[in-house]
Amino acid sequence: MSFLQPAMLFALPLIALPIVIHLINQYRYRTIEWAAMFFLLTANKMSRGYARIRQWLILLMRTLAVAGLIFAISRPLASGWMRLAAPGNIDTTIILLDRSPSMQQQGTRTGMTKLDSARQQLVQSLSLLKSNRWVLIDSAINTPIELESPETLETILEAEPTSASADIPAMLETVHNYLRDNRPSRTEVWLCSDLRLHDWDSESSRWDVLRKAFLESPNPVRFHLLAYASSDSSNRSVRVTSTAVQETSTGRELLISLKIERATSSEESERLPVRLELNGTSTEIPMEISGSETELKNYSFALEGQPSKGWGRVTIPADSNADDNEFYFVYDEPPPRTTVVVSDDPRGVKALELAAGISANPSLTLSVSVVSPHLVLDTDWDQVALLLWDAPLPDAETAPIVQSLVDRGAQVVFFPPESDDEGTFANLSWGSWEQPDSELQVSTWIQDQDLLANVQSGAALPVGELKISRYRTLDGERTTLAALSSGDPLLCRAVTDLRNVYFCTTRPVFGDSTLASDGVVLYVMIQRALASGATSLGSVRQLNAGEIDPATTSDWSPLSRSDRTLSTTFGYQAGAYRSEERLFAVNRSAEEDRATIVGDDRVSALFRDLPFDRVDDEVGSGSALLREIWPTFLLIMMLMLIAEAVLCLPRRIAQTDAPVPFAKGVAA
Amino acid sequence: MSIGGRSRSFLDPQALARLSAIPLFSRRAMIGNVSGIHASPHRGSSVEFAEYRRYVPGDDIRRLDWRAFGRSDRYYVKEFEADTNLRCCLILDTSGSMNFGSGGIAKIEYARRILGSLAHIAVQQGDAVGLTCIAEKIVQTIPPRRTPSHLRGVFDILENSRPKGDTRLVGRLHELAETIPQRALIVLVSDLFMPPADLKSAFEHFRFRKHDVAVFHLFDPLELSFDFQRPMRFLDLEGGPSVFAEPTEIADRYHKALDLYLAELKQIVLGAAVDYHRVRLDEDYELVLRNFLAARTRTKGVR
Repeated sequence: MSFLQPAMLFALPLIALPIVIHLINQYRYRTIEWAAMFFLLTANKMSRGYARIRQWLILLMRTLAVAGLIFAISRPLASGWMRLAAPGNIDTTIILLDRSPSMQQQGTRTGMTKLDSARQQLVQSLSLLKSNRWVLIDSAINTPIELESPETLETILEAEPTSASADIPAMLETVHNYLRDNRPSRTEVWLCSDLRLHDWDSESSRWDVLRKAFLESPNPVRFHLLAYASSDSSNRSVRVTSTAVQETSTGRELLISLKIERATSSEESERLPVRLELNGTSTEIPMEISGSETELKNYSFALEGQPSKGWGRVTIPADSNADDNEFYFVYDEPPPRTTVVVSDDPRGVKALELAAGISANPSLTLSVSVVSPHLVLDTDWDQVALLLWDAPLPDAETAPIVQSLVDRGAQVVFFPPESDDEGTFANLSWGSWEQPDSELQVSTWIQDQDLLANVQSGAALPVGELKISRYRTLDGERTTLAALSSGDPLLCRAVTDLRNVYFCTTRPVFGDSTLASDGVVLYVMIQRALASGATSLGSVRQLNAGEIDPATTSDWSPLSRSDRTLSTTFGYQAGAYRSEERLFAVNRSAEEDRATIVGDDRVSALFRDLPFDRVDDEVGSGSALLREIWPTFLLIMMLMLIAEAVLCLPRRIAQTDAPVPFAKGVAA
Repeated sequence: MSIGGRSRSFLDPQALARLSAIPLFSRRAMIGNVSGIHASPHRGSSVEFAEYRRYVPGDDIRRLDWRAFGRSDRYYVKEFEADTNLRCCLILDTSGSMNFGSGGIAKIEYARRILGSLAHIAVQQGDAVGLTCIAEKIVQTIPPRRTPSHLRGVFDILENSRPKGDTRLVGRLHELAETIPQRALIVLVSDLFMPPADLKSAFEHFRFRKHDVAVFHLFDPLELSFDFQRPMRFLDLEGGPSVFAEPTEIADRYHKALDLYLAELKQIVLGAAVDYHRVRLDEDYELVLRNFLAARTRTKGVR
């Protein structure tokens, strides 16, 4: 329990006052010579539990009454976080606020969202505490913002909801950096979140680093978690998975694919009207949902007389979370998919050329050109979506060109050169060639994302059937997408901002691997990289909120946006935006639609050994986290006084009247 | 009052003069040694006819009722009741508890007044009076005599009696019941602070010996009200352990114990045919004695 006036607790010894008075009263006894000892001794022997404890009960009531008074004037705070708030002054209070779309889920009893409820609770509770400094770190901007008082949370823009996912470890890292830079004497960290697995990234190694850093921190920090873990099973979300513009015999049309997900899987089918808004017109698409998700593929929408480039929005009827009921999209004619193969060894070029040049979609035009490394400087790179580099790593002259491609969003896949290569790119460099005695196979690969992910039907690529006879080791920090049975990587991704640089440690040539002969894996890999790279060339882009460099949004202008969007927050708010000739659709990430939360045990493990408390709150529960409860103690005091008065009431025994008539003889 | 040449503080001549107007009767037949006003179990020569009895050889033929012979042709002897005096044995409890008195008069002084007055009344009507003082043992005793000079000795003992020591009343009562010749009036004045069950056997012993037992049970008003306002340390007048108590705390149990005691004692005195009088020290002893004597006039003389 904490107190707003803890100094008053020094008066607690006064609760002994009734006992002292009782003892003094006992000392004031009178002595009398008494004849009727017979009745006194008999009365003493009478076993009456209540009579024996009555005096002690009276003393107890008086003591509790005094204690109640002292506690009342000490202004105690009470709630589920009763034990959390430390008494006395706090130097710095840091509020970590999860503003992700999932925090927009409304409660079942009220229209308040989790974020509104969290802010309200924080304002009510923290305003009762004393702190020299208030700091807000929100999930979108992730930068410490000094607040004048907790009440500012109700008006400040940085506490408003966003479409960007939260990165709780990154927010805690910001807390650690803040503590390191400012060295506050005593810090309380209040973390409000709905425990979404995507936001917490609980399996990340960053948590161990953070925990260790906080444990070793010289500044005492106490963590409080205000968790809103409940989810609404009836919630639905809508998402546009793809858009394409194609020319048909009847004219130009937009092909749009939609996916509607339900929070929980159900066999019960549900009919849902999906509203499609495009170029000022609105169309309703009825969809039948069963199971956990339903996808509508390539819904055709005629673009007669309309430009081939534009934006639109799909919405579904309101449910418990308004933020996942709409999705913005932009469309344009597909950009050319141009691949450049840089190679000085013609042996592997053919396989790469074929994999990059054959399209699975007849409407797409693919082009492949092969250049030798010394002609890189003379090549036009403006329209290149994919660069396949089958040569020594770029040198000082060519590296800036490749880097500009990487920065632009084009995909780059490096294959190992036969010659010695001392070069480095994206902090990776080739090691030595390895030729094991027997052919190696791929033991593990990442199947849920990236180049080797399973196909849409869920079937895995035949990566395990590949046979590797010769490969080259790789030095440097990377993310392994496929590993050989020897432990060395087959395909890995360099650590870059856009995650678009790959290294394949073997070549698609006979004698090195079966990548070319069993060409499915190579083809899918190349086509996926090509498709991804082509998006960087298009004049329209689908972006995830929060993953956009704020500097790039400075010249954006909104096409459609919500009321809460300001020009400084385009990168965090869903909407359609224009920048010169390019269109951008910003939406929540796909992971926001998955209601998986971090388990309680896991949360406890993440804060293991740290001063940590957790309170699970319900939206609209109405119970404040911290509230003054001095009226309760006053009530207790009054009740104790009443009880004491009742106990002190004299017995209903005639004290002056004789129990039986006197002066009357009993005549036998 | 000066009786026997000395003034006695416990005797009020005016009260005695008023009380002497009411005779002291026994409730059952007494055996005295001279003629008196009390019924006797034996036949005698009073004017009150008792019964006819068949003549048996040896009877005085002067007592034959010739009229009855004339009517029935049988010999009958006519018998008359006998009247005698009584032996009044006064018993005074002189244990330490009798020294208690909150209203200016101690129980022992109140007992002196009752017993002194009764002794005076009895001697005045020709009855023999004796006195026994009891504490842990029989402190002092004087056998019943009917002479005025003997009365002086009784008064001296009453005057010199001092409450002291523990009470062993029951044992002493048994002893007296056995030693006092049958058919006497026993008057006990005490506070009777002992278990009533113990008294029962003593009273029944008296009844078995055909004594007429009267008890004056003395209570101080404070003992009944137990009205104290602050913690008290009670010192036992009979030398027992002292008790420290919060009166407001123990009062209800004290009163309950008192009620139980009085109820049980009532049953015992009723069963043992004891003429029981519960007396508060703030009552006028003359009124108490008048009631006592008047009640006896209504129940006198069962032969």
